[in-house]
Amino acid sequence: MIKQLFDVYCREFKLVLHDPGIILFFIFLPLVYPIIYSLIYNPEQVRDVKMVVVDNDRSSISRELVRNLDATQEARVIGYAADLNEARHAMADKKCFSILEIPDGFGRKIGRGEQANAALYCEASLLLRYRGFLMAATNVSQAMGAEILTEKIDRILPLAETITDGDLMPIEYRPMGNIQSGFDSFIMPGVLILILQQCIILAAGMAGGAKRENPRLTGYQGVNEMPSVAMTMLGQMLCYGTILILPVIYLVHYVPLMFSFPMEGNLWEILIFLLPMCIASCGIGFMFQGIVWERESVFVLWVVTSITFLFLSGLTWPRYAMSAGWKFISDCVPATWGLEGFIKMNTNGATLSQVRSCYIPLWILSAIYMVGAYCVQRWIVRPTLFHQDPALPTVK
Amino acid sequence: MKTTGFRAIFVRSVLQMVRRPIYWAAFFILPLFTFLFLANLMENGLPDKVPAAMVDRDGSSLSRSVTQNLGGMQMVDLVAECNSFTEARHKMQEGEIFGYFLIPENYQSDLLAGRKPVITFYTNMTYFVPASLLFKTFKTTALYTKAGLAMSVVESVGGNAVEAAPMLLPINIDSRAIHNPGLNYAVYLGNSFIPCTLQLMILLITCFSLGQEIKYGTSVHLLGMARGSIVRALAAKLLPQTIIWIVIALFMESWLFKINGYPMHGSWLWITLSEIMFVLACQGMAVFLFGVLPNLRLSLSICALTGILSFSIAAFSFPVESMYPSIGIFSWILPIRYNFLIYIDQALDGVHIYYSRIWFVAYIVFMLLPLTMLWNIKRNMARPVYAP
Repeated sequence: MIKQLFDVYCREFKLVLHDPGIILFFIFLPLVYPIIYSLIYNPEQVRDVKMVVVDNDRSSISRELVRNLDATQEARVIGYAADLNEARHAMADKKCFSILEIPDGFGRKIGRGEQANAALYCEASLLLRYRGFLMAATNVSQAMGAEILTEKIDRILPLAETITDGDLMPIEYRPMGNIQSGFDSFIMPGVLILILQQCIILAAGMAGGAKRENPRLTGYQGVNEMPSVAMTMLGQMLCYGTILILPVIYLVHYVPLMFSFPMEGNLWEILIFLLPMCIASCGIGFMFQGIVWERESVFVLWVVTSITFLFLSGLTWPRYAMSAGWKFISDCVPATWGLEGFIKMNTNGATLSQVRSCYIPLWILSAIYMVGAYCVQRWIVRPTLFHQDPALPTVK
Repeated sequence: MKTTGFRAIFVRSVLQMVRRPIYWAAFFILPLFTFLFLANLMENGLPDKVPAAMVDRDGSSLSRSVTQNLGGMQMVDLVAECNSFTEARHKMQEGEIFGYFLIPENYQSDLLAGRKPVITFYTNMTYFVPASLLFKTFKTTALYTKAGLAMSVVESVGGNAVEAAPMLLPINIDSRAIHNPGLNYAVYLGNSFIPCTLQLMILLITCFSLGQEIKYGTSVHLLGMARGSIVRALAAKLLPQTIIWIVIALFMESWLFKINGYPMHGSWLWITLSEIMFVLACQGMAVFLFGVLPNLRLSLSICALTGILSFSIAAFSFPVESMYPSIGIFSWILPIRYNFLIYIDQALDGVHIYYSRIWFVAYIVFMLLPLTMLWNIKRNMARPVYAP
């Protein structure tokens, strides 16, 4: 049995080395893809989004409001428009993404002690831009409001000042985990784990396609089977595991290091945590082999699932808000748990025991997928391989 | 039946697609599932009732009323009451809650004595959307609490609370998200991710079907049927796919704007034209990529890379102007970017077609791209070599 296992293990190495497609999935995909992806979002924050002002008041306080908005990190005032029509023209031309309209009498109302309203019209195509404008508007109106309020209280009720004396009850906000609230640090740790799952499944799928190809076409005999189905699968998995050790360490340690993502976790604990996810992904890959009849069809059949898995994982749309059906499907994806646990460990600094709610499902999934994989390999993949011509060239 | 010419190739192409289940999966099952999935997942628009915790270290009547106010907010679900900061942090690390609101010890007495107790709230920014919603709710609650206190201070020194009310918020800026006032998340993601999925599938299937010819050496026969004309060969081979994709794109259009009712403030004519041209532009881009790398696996790899990176680089969530310019520039070489811009102009904002003219021209450029690579495709089709 051990001999069989060892033979499969060694032969699988040769097969992988002979197939540039599999090499691409095992090496190029985990090495290059995270870099490109991280670079896209690396500026982390949306700063200085353009804004046009329609100031119908032209008072000192309205100018102060505009100056303060311009001074925020989120917004940048690119100019004044004569009226709303001109501003709308600029917005339609994508010269600006929001319009601040200050009505006539704005300054007078503040002087009278009434509430003064201004309107900020935001272009709603991107949520991040709107969020930035909202933050800027809220912060500026509150800061200016507090100033005016203090002035007013001082003037009307000199006694109140002795009680309040500035800020009555300071409010503090502390973002946790991703403390800069950066977009890259939010999305990338999850994507890294998804990349890992997808590269295992794609590589295993392509290896399955190679088994059924005409060896004359590919230049090598892609079948690597021993009488024992279980030992064959185990040998192949061990081979993939050996190849993946370095890419995995690179993904979970060096990529976050390069792009300064939060790194609160313990590398060893993270690796132990990811082990069942890799096993489960191998299981899916072996099952996937049941429908892959050609090496290249993995692209057509599997690449698009990445998007579905990303959303199922709850990274953007949280899992508590999913309907029961989608939640069940997301429970079945190893990356859902892998990603959730990895984020908790890496970004929030959880320990392995704190992520047991993700770790246990991963082991259950890997057991289920391995049984499924055994069945697919035993009764679907194997019987189709007997048509191979033994006289054809084997791998050198 | 004739064995050469446009019609013969067309029929051959249709038969090839009908016979292989992979085409059925790629044309219908995968895209339609993704359409359904993305729209249905975010049906509620916003993930309200974010699980959160209250850490009430004071336990006074005042702090309990803050808890009650917070618990009554729509966006938050107070699932836990923690006794300490550490306990709440552990709950957050375990993923039970997305944030917590901390009221310090002696809050009420400090407040009454004017010792300015600090209220602090924490959100787990690892999860952007729920944490942002939580931030908004926490901040509102804290501000209301503060406003209430200010009112009682004013009253306590003999002021009139009704007169003082406008003073609490002297300047109010109303932020309005035009045409998506509820900030429906599905509108953001559906209108960008669903067409982008379509682009991915068009790129993959176009290269897959062309690469198959070279892999199995049938391209020689194909060229023969086209009587040596590469234009005729490609046009007749891809026309059945074009028809299917256009049908799917039009279905997508009605799925988004009619069935799901996403904002549609412009003219149906331009959106329909955009979807049809989008299909052709994607096919044009795919043929171009295939011409650059006329190998089944390599062209599929590059299409998969482009197709998946499009979801990020076409700036559906992170704006192009915030990216590094050297990265952001790549968003302009993707058909989906123009589809997205036309959607913003013509469906979401409903501006005059004048503003979108350039985006339509870009589609035409993509359609013409393959002409530059026809020579290479013809060369490889005439002498097909399969490199695995």
